[in-house]
Amino acid sequence: MFVGGIGAYGGEENAKEDPVMVASNVIAKPVRGVGGFYAMALDTFVAMVKPPFAWREFISQSWFVARVSIVPTLMLTIPYTVLLTFTFNILLTEFGAADFSGTGAALGTVRQIGPIVTVLVVAGAGATAMCADLGARTIREELDALRVMGVNPIQALVVPRVLAATLVSLALSATVILVGLAGAYLFCVYIQHVSPGAFAAGLTLIIGAADVTIALLKAALFGLSAGMIACYKGISVGGGPAGVGNAVNETVVFTFMALFAINVVATAVAVKVTM
Amino acid sequence: MTISRPHSQFPWLKSRFRAVAGPWNRIGMQTKFYGNTLRSIHYAFTYYRIELIRLIAQMGLGAGALIIIGGTVAIVGFLTVTTGALVAVQGYTDFSEIGVEALTGFASAFFNVRLIAPATTAVALSATIGAGATAQLGAMRINEEIDALEVMGIRSVAYLASTRVVAGLLVVIPLYCVGVIAAFWAAKFGTTFIYGQSTGVYDHYFRTFLNPTDLMWSFIQCVVLAVVIMLVHTYYGYTARGGPAGVGEAVGRAVRTSLILAAFVLVMMSLAVYGQSGNFNLAG
Repeated sequence: MFVGGIGAYGGEENAKEDPVMVASNVIAKPVRGVGGFYAMALDTFVAMVKPPFAWREFISQSWFVARVSIVPTLMLTIPYTVLLTFTFNILLTEFGAADFSGTGAALGTVRQIGPIVTVLVVAGAGATAMCADLGARTIREELDALRVMGVNPIQALVVPRVLAATLVSLALSATVILVGLAGAYLFCVYIQHVSPGAFAAGLTLIIGAADVTIALLKAALFGLSAGMIACYKGISVGGGPAGVGNAVNETVVFTFMALFAINVVATAVAVKVTM
Repeated sequence: MTISRPHSQFPWLKSRFRAVAGPWNRIGMQTKFYGNTLRSIHYAFTYYRIELIRLIAQMGLGAGALIIIGGTVAIVGFLTVTTGALVAVQGYTDFSEIGVEALTGFASAFFNVRLIAPATTAVALSATIGAGATAQLGAMRINEEIDALEVMGIRSVAYLASTRVVAGLLVVIPLYCVGVIAAFWAAKFGTTFIYGQSTGVYDHYFRTFLNPTDLMWSFIQCVVLAVVIMLVHTYYGYTARGGPAGVGEAVGRAVRTSLILAAFVLVMMSLAVYGQSGNFNLAG
């Protein structure tokens, strides 16, 4: 069984002041980062199916992520849906097809806004808090203390966090879709004067069960990768208090980049599947 | 934590009052900080020019590990490339279902400019230069460097917050240009190269519907969003507390707040600019 030593995933580096070493460090550092991330991801997947599973930590983390995410989710979903419906309705009105605004709302909410807002919230709210928490523990050497006591930090801390992020983003994306559709309904019917029946009838014109399933799958995938990146950046923190802040900053950047990239690929695959 | 203290009068009422008044006080303090920051901008220009220029260079390129992957410009470019590609993937397939896939160029010119470029740039700004500023200021705060600045007689709000707001405002201009071009390019590349539409058809509809006025408004939206985002992020960094974990949490809270504020500002500005008429004519 693998129990890593100090800086098992390339966290602490003994950089030498030799210019050749510095130059090779510049090249090697990102490569080492990617390697460390994969190593941790593999360990996490192995530890997921290996008993004992940290139930208490899983439940408390799920509750924690859900608690910090729910309000930002609602606050982000409503303006984005209103913006999308508004822009789409300009187009539809021009065609003389304002009655199809329900179709546009469903299309935008289920296919893009749902997953994207989930990404933003899970990365911005859940992942940052996880990374800050784990990073603070790492620089206080609590993780090393766990290893000394024979507890695998991957199993005790990382696995429950990654699974919690996955579960909560799955649930969040469903919330986002529901809230988004409700917001779009209110905006279309009461502000843009579309008839309610036409809105409801248009909802399922293009979007079906397959699309909703894919949206949920996408969200789960996003949660998994956001949790992974947050935990990796958290346990490989170095350089004191400033290091934790930088690690959280990098978590946000890397999760956003990874998730936007995954979204394009997943959308392209989903389009092929549903056609 | 239990502290023994003398029995106070009306404890329930007092705690209720504190629970209600607390958030309002926080909003007031934030507003005061924002006013202070904006008012101190002229100090940043007169006294702290060197710091300002240093920050502009740092924000444009990014700091720490972000420099290795190409800095802020590369990150903004990457995010907008993916959203532009999304227009190609989603627009092309949806339009081809009703046989008008020729209009993908129109979708790129319409949705990229009005919706996707400002929203994506806001997200990217908040993640890169915004979160970076919170992390830096938070670390300074918990190391008591900000107090040291005050002791030395330096105006800390002007020196730390106002300079960052101005730097963000200046940096967003090239970043937005990179973002829009990347989005346009990705949509075109996806549609013409991957889905195999002829470039002439794509360019025709793209040019027909690309409205310079819309582009200007989208640009102004981005500049306003940059100011809002930098204000929020500097506030959370400036008031961070609670050790290393506190800095991390401040970064998270700043990202959440600035994303929400950016979304609201974007909606309000879009509704105000495009209004009920939509400022759009399909028939030309």
